[in-house]
Amino acid sequence: MSNNDVSDLSQCPIVIRGLRKTFLDFWRRPTVEAVKGLDLTVRRGEVYGFLGPNGSGKSTTIKMILGLLRPTAGTIRVLGEAPDSVKAKRKIGYLPEISHLHPFLTPRETLMYYADLFGMPKREAKRRVAELIDMVDLAAAADRAVGGFSKGMARRVGVAQALINAPELLILDEPTSGLDPIGTREVKDLVRMLAQGGVTVLMTSHLLADVEDVCDRVAIVSHGVLQAEGTIGELLRQPDVVRFGVEGLDDESAAKLREMIERHVGHPVAQDYPAISLEAFFLQVVAKEGKTREFKLAPYLERSDK
Amino acid sequence: MRAVWAIARTTFIEAIQQPVAFLMYLFSVALTLLVPVFQFHRFSEDGRLARDSGLSCMLVFGMALAVCTAGRSVSKEIADGTAASVLGKPVPRPVFVCSKWLGCALVTAMFCLGQLAALMIAERASAHYVLREDFNGYATDPISLILALGGLGLALLAGAARHFFGRHRFGASVFFGVLYSQVAVLLFSGFYNRLGQFYPVHGEAACCEHHAAGEAAHALFYHPELNLRVIPAALLVFFGLLVFAALGTALSTRMRTGTVLAVCAGVLFTGLAGDTLFNGSSLLSFRGAVSGVLPDLQNFWLCDAIAHGGRISPGYVWLAGGYALTVCTVFLLAGCMAFQNRDVG
Ligand SMILES: Nc1ncnc2c1ncn2[C@@H]1O[C@H](COP(=O)(O)OP(=O)(O)OP(=O)(O)O)[C@@H](O)[C@H]1O
Ligand SMILES: [Mg+2]
Repeated sequence: MSNNDVSDLSQCPIVIRGLRKTFLDFWRRPTVEAVKGLDLTVRRGEVYGFLGPNGSGKSTTIKMILGLLRPTAGTIRVLGEAPDSVKAKRKIGYLPEISHLHPFLTPRETLMYYADLFGMPKREAKRRVAELIDMVDLAAAADRAVGGFSKGMARRVGVAQALINAPELLILDEPTSGLDPIGTREVKDLVRMLAQGGVTVLMTSHLLADVEDVCDRVAIVSHGVLQAEGTIGELLRQPDVVRFGVEGLDDESAAKLREMIERHVGHPVAQDYPAISLEAFFLQVVAKEGKTREFKLAPYLERSDK
Repeated sequence: MRAVWAIARTTFIEAIQQPVAFLMYLFSVALTLLVPVFQFHRFSEDGRLARDSGLSCMLVFGMALAVCTAGRSVSKEIADGTAASVLGKPVPRPVFVCSKWLGCALVTAMFCLGQLAALMIAERASAHYVLREDFNGYATDPISLILALGGLGLALLAGAARHFFGRHRFGASVFFGVLYSQVAVLLFSGFYNRLGQFYPVHGEAACCEHHAAGEAAHALFYHPELNLRVIPAALLVFFGLLVFAALGTALSTRMRTGTVLAVCAGVLFTGLAGDTLFNGSSLLSFRGAVSGVLPDLQNFWLCDAIAHGGRISPGYVWLAGGYALTVCTVFLLAGCMAFQNRDVG
């Protein structure tokens, strides 16, 4: 559970030590202690899941990493820099918890706006915006004001804006909230593909199945304190349990086999009939209707020259 | 630099989207244009009432517009969370604050330009004494007024049409429509004289009264009968508005819109009444402090200076510009400092 196993901290994109955040009211009296002495290390190239119940301080921590909130105590290094360093932010992509967008701009204008904030040349920006809009499947709505968008559509714009600078470090606060199963699947594919390309990802999510699918390591916080940290394998493996999956076995043979195993281990054995997940079923149904498409990374994100 | 422009432009677009912005613009311009229509008595000077009320409208409505726009500029973005999105990008906080002010300044500039055009039209159109061989008496210029007022209607119609056919933003279209229509009418009014005769006018009335007989021989195609001395006065008002936009922006880094409006109103009042309020007061130091800290609006209100053919010297305009710039810088610096450690999110 300690972070001491990391040999070279300066190589880690995010290093947090002893982080505290106490919110103050107008009279500067403390109201909430959202984060209480958090240590966190995210290593280069990993997908790091940041989990915890509502109000446990995840978003607060993320906002401190980005320099939006000022820590009460503790240190944060992001890509070797202080949190509000402009140099670090050039290489960071951030998807806020709620997609805050200017309601009167269209997705295209929104993305151009964010590209401008990076001082990106117009031509390059236009190309990236076109590719991103394609990637998040918003081509049909690209010229409508985002004020009228559904939650999931706004989320897609949010995901796209986080990627405009081809970030080295991607921070996603509940990226799948509001997305349909197809969108969720696409975000997971996206995270996986980016991670393969060497991007470090820090994400929070309440959908633990999704976290399990994509994250290399996870941390669980509760009441602003780190409760557990480790790789998915380490945390979830039950070393003394074995499970078989057999197809085409009749009931009689199954009963015989079970008896045999029970005799061998000396206690009763659980037996069940696995169903496919609802997600898999949903995707099958929609696939039949021809509503799915193969997810493709925006071409500029694949290029290695970033 | 591109970031500055992007933030300023978005602020500008958002501001003119607000119904209050184009309504204020429409109302101010319409009021200015209606003064010559309902002018029942005149001051010692032709067109003075129209000019003074036009400048007052510029100050009052411009102030409301500038302070409303600036007062919500930063606080609204923090409340909406868009500030967090922007500051998550490589945008230093001071750049964000200054860009917001720039956006507000842009709105104010557009407003002042259209309002200036309207007040010059109103001044030209109100009754002037014309003495010519073929005309002797008071002449008004209803054509310009009708065109300018019609322009307002057209701006509304064009806004609706652009919204209907092209899904363009109604508020923004009307805002620009008002500006374009007033400037267009102003420029067009140079093609005809106060009596409604298009140039070149032949015969005795060929030229307006200022011209010597020798010049009248030339055919005249374009002659704007405008009082250009009002331009520096309007420029000064614009400077004053910039100061209040800076104050509003600075305050909105820490306060909500309502509070900002209240504080700005207080500063405006104290700045205007300061001289009278603290005059002869024994609290000399207090008076000094107040006049040192608060922007003195009197410096920007030189309506009387242009009465009866008076002029505002370019030197004074430069001086006032420098003063405005200094005060803006001070306010914005304070705003940046207040914003530096503010929690955004
Ligand atoms: N701006 C703020 N002012 C005051 N308190 C705040 C502020 N933002 C967050 N908090 C408090 O800090 C605590 C942690 O909030 P945070 O948003 O970090 O939780 P979270 O882990 O992201 O929860 P969720 O899963 O619901 O998103 C909560 O008690 C919340 O009320
Ligand atoms: Mg959260």
